[in-house]
Amino acid sequence: MKKIIALLLASIMILSACGANTDTGNGDNAGEAADTSKITIWAWDPNFNIKAMNLAKDVYAADHPDLTVDIIENAQNDIVQKLNTGLSSGTTKGLPNIVLIEDYRAQSFLQAYPDAFYPLTESFKASDFADYKIGPTSVDGKNYGLPFDSGVTGLYVRTDYLEQAGYKIEDLQDITWDKYIEIGKAVKEKTGKDWISLDPNDMGILRVMIQSAGSWYLNEDGKTANLEGNAALKEAFETYKKMMEANIVKIHADWSQFVANYNSGDVASVPTGNWFTPSITAAADQAGKWAIAPLPKLTNNPESVHASSLGGSSWYVLNVPGKEKAAEFLGATLGSNVDLYQKLITDVGAIGTYKPAAEGEAYKAPNEFFGGQEIVADFAKWTAEIPNVNYGMHTYAVEDIIIVEMQNYLNGKGIDQVLTDAQKQADAQIK
Amino acid sequence: MRRLLDRFKYNGLFVKMFIIMVVSIVTVSVTTTWTTINMSERVFMETFSITNSKVIEQIKSSLDSFNYSIVITSNNISQSGSVRSFLTEGDGDSIARSKAYYSMSQQMERFNSSVDAYEVGITVTGVNGRSYASDRSYWPLTDAELRDHPVTAKTLQEPRRLIYQYDDAAHSGNPATKPTVIASKALIDRTDFVYGTMYFSIPEREFRRFYESYTSLGNDVAVLDREGTIVSANRLEWIGQPAADLLQYAEQIEEQGLPYKNVDIMDKDQVVLSEYLTPFDLYVVNLIDKETAIGQLIDTKTIVLSVMAITLATVIIVFVISRRMTKSLTRLVKQISTISKYEFDHHVTVGGSYETRQLAQAFNDMLDELQEYVKELVQTQKQQRNAELEALQQQINPHFLYNTLASVKFMVQRGSKEKAAETINALISLLQNAIGNVSETIPLSQELVNMKNYVFINHVRYGDRIKVNYFIAPDCMGFHVPKLIIQPFIENAFFHAFNNKPEGHIYIMVAKEGDALVCEVVDDGDGMADAPSAGNLLPRPKSKRQLFTGIGVKNVHDRIKLLYGEAYGVTITSEPGEGTKVKIRIPLLKG
Repeated sequence: MKKIIALLLASIMILSACGANTDTGNGDNAGEAADTSKITIWAWDPNFNIKAMNLAKDVYAADHPDLTVDIIENAQNDIVQKLNTGLSSGTTKGLPNIVLIEDYRAQSFLQAYPDAFYPLTESFKASDFADYKIGPTSVDGKNYGLPFDSGVTGLYVRTDYLEQAGYKIEDLQDITWDKYIEIGKAVKEKTGKDWISLDPNDMGILRVMIQSAGSWYLNEDGKTANLEGNAALKEAFETYKKMMEANIVKIHADWSQFVANYNSGDVASVPTGNWFTPSITAAADQAGKWAIAPLPKLTNNPESVHASSLGGSSWYVLNVPGKEKAAEFLGATLGSNVDLYQKLITDVGAIGTYKPAAEGEAYKAPNEFFGGQEIVADFAKWTAEIPNVNYGMHTYAVEDIIIVEMQNYLNGKGIDQVLTDAQKQADAQIK
Repeated sequence: MRRLLDRFKYNGLFVKMFIIMVVSIVTVSVTTTWTTINMSERVFMETFSITNSKVIEQIKSSLDSFNYSIVITSNNISQSGSVRSFLTEGDGDSIARSKAYYSMSQQMERFNSSVDAYEVGITVTGVNGRSYASDRSYWPLTDAELRDHPVTAKTLQEPRRLIYQYDDAAHSGNPATKPTVIASKALIDRTDFVYGTMYFSIPEREFRRFYESYTSLGNDVAVLDREGTIVSANRLEWIGQPAADLLQYAEQIEEQGLPYKNVDIMDKDQVVLSEYLTPFDLYVVNLIDKETAIGQLIDTKTIVLSVMAITLATVIIVFVISRRMTKSLTRLVKQISTISKYEFDHHVTVGGSYETRQLAQAFNDMLDELQEYVKELVQTQKQQRNAELEALQQQINPHFLYNTLASVKFMVQRGSKEKAAETINALISLLQNAIGNVSETIPLSQELVNMKNYVFINHVRYGDRIKVNYFIAPDCMGFHVPKLIIQPFIENAFFHAFNNKPEGHIYIMVAKEGDALVCEVVDDGDGMADAPSAGNLLPRPKSKRQLFTGIGVKNVHDRIKLLYGEAYGVTITSEPGEGTKVKIRIPLLKG
């Protein structure tokens, strides 16, 4: 009897020792299995994109509590670099499920890495979104990107400075860039404040101008440069130089200085994308002093309209495990949820490109900061007018050439020569 | 309880042996395990410290090369004329500004390329209020915040030194600031005029990269500044925290030139290694949590468990073997102790180990010899008794003969020849039987003849006032009885039972009772006042000498017992005035 008890005891001890080992083994497996119920999202700008995605996450979590959504903030350049490194090496390890890509860059990714993205054609209804967003986000009729914020532009103006110069906001409703410069001169003369803040390394203003005329750095095919003989671009160059020569331009070198120039009240107007609204409203002491006018159009180009786009972006799903869940997440939130778009406007100030959302209350609400102007409705109206252009694959490659040539132009090089040289360089570079 | 105690008593040897073995096994295994673990811990700690000092050297050298590129870049920036004019010139018109910013961006791009290998943001600020940042995302301060920042104040205090400082949301007051290491230096021209400041912002995660690959669980690296703030650490929760005690240890190691130091820090027993980074004015501290680090190497739990399992297995084996060894001995002891209590003729079982077998054998032999000896002794005693009886028997009382013969002489003188001859015949027959072998048995019928002869002689001598009656069961006639077994009681009755009464009767009754033959001699004489009422004790003989032979009443009882065992013997009951009853039990003997 004693022997049996002793044997039993011994076997229990040995078994329990083994048991402890198996437990730790199981723990490791559990960690891996949990990964499929988690999706990762990369985006930049915590006040805008990240905030918007967090709203979407909260909305989705209400119905799908088991899915973990991990939103990671990265600088846009980092995202571009990491995507390029990851996708070109062919390994998707460490890449997120969903990534935000600027519309200008979208085609370069979609075409350079055809299999790296997961088509979203089934996940949302493309016709519900603004037409100009569909071009950059799709390839061969397949939608790869879920259009996010509208890059629709407007002219933010300090009405108090304007009034000191003898102008009213009503005077800016239908103006050309030449008229814009003329008003700027008057403002500078009367208030001593600069009219516009520009970064010599960012030709966003040129892109806004040429898109308003339905033109772009690249031809319709999206692959060849369209610089030499591009009338819109030529006029944009001339307008840019005119602004400089009018001495109404304050220079900034980065985003922080750009925002600071307006928040400090040193600069009176900014023609830019609607995503600049939160930066303007950040200076609470300037409430009621701002208004948004339609974008000026090119003076000599009949194609040009009072609407353009700058720097919108869209969400893409990478072809990695968990893509179905990621696509479902996007489809259920930003792809179809009208209420979410209302929230985006009220909480973030982000104007989406989802047409059914324009019927919502938030789109019609007046904004007290802008003197009661219904800015969202205005932007929505202008969104519909944005000329559709193909951003192609090489927007930023051409932009780098333009930046250099612009300096040459400011230094006195002839405009035709500038464009010819730019064309040559672009042809050589982007083949 | 008693049974348990008994068990313990019999298994005492086993229990003692087993306890001693278990205690020794456990002691040996515990000591061995403890020594082994301790020794390997010590060796591990030594090795670990040596390896980690090398690791720290490596961290130091990669930090040095990082510092070198920062130094080169800062030199380039301070020597650049265009940077200086950008930071000192007046504002000018839009075109001039645009050109200045553009060329500055070109310049900065070149400077940036020398620190391209690292994630570093360069910011320069000038006395004219201009600033230029290559990448503000690492240290997102506005120009105004930068101007009033403690980092700037400290830089301007020591304008010629490149100093490394720590900044985070708590330090800068800007919630968007992530933990960052800032290298800063004032921009000075030859006339000692400070025309600006340059900042290299290195995100803490980038700084961490220099050592993170060397860390592991329980092996942590932290970088401390002079104030004791943790500037960077692989443990994210440490970053930005004050650690005065750690700084103190680092300084001690630095001052005393120790290779490492064992300390109790953060509630853990840790080994601290430290190296002072001169150009950074920072300490790199390596913390090794002994428990975790050694825990990874030596799985104490597994070792202890396996040692326990082995010990247990050994104990079980020892238990089984020693049990088997002592079991036969225990059984032997148990049997022996029982034997001494009860019987001698039971042998113990021979079995078990050689020693026990030999022991049992020896014990059995001893028992046999003892029994043999006892038997012999009994035999001798019997023989002695018989010889004694025989001797007594041979001693026919000369008075008996003399009196009988005197009676016969009177009969002859009186002329009753017939009666004299009859008496002589009875005497002859009586003597014939009495003098023969005393150990022999005779049939009851023969004994009856003897008794009748004896009674006849007595009647001749003393008259027939005492009548004797015989009631012999006919089926008993064939059984044998020892010689002269009833005669002493008849004699007793004749000479002692009728001292007061003038006449009476003696009844001789023999019958079979179960497997015994019962002979009773009953008289209706005086009885004995001093006879015990229970009556199984024999009264003392009244006279020392017997009247016929030497065999007395007491002898009869002893003799029967000797011959036939305890179940047989003589019992006497007597009532004064009523008479005496003597009962003799002997087995049924068939000759």
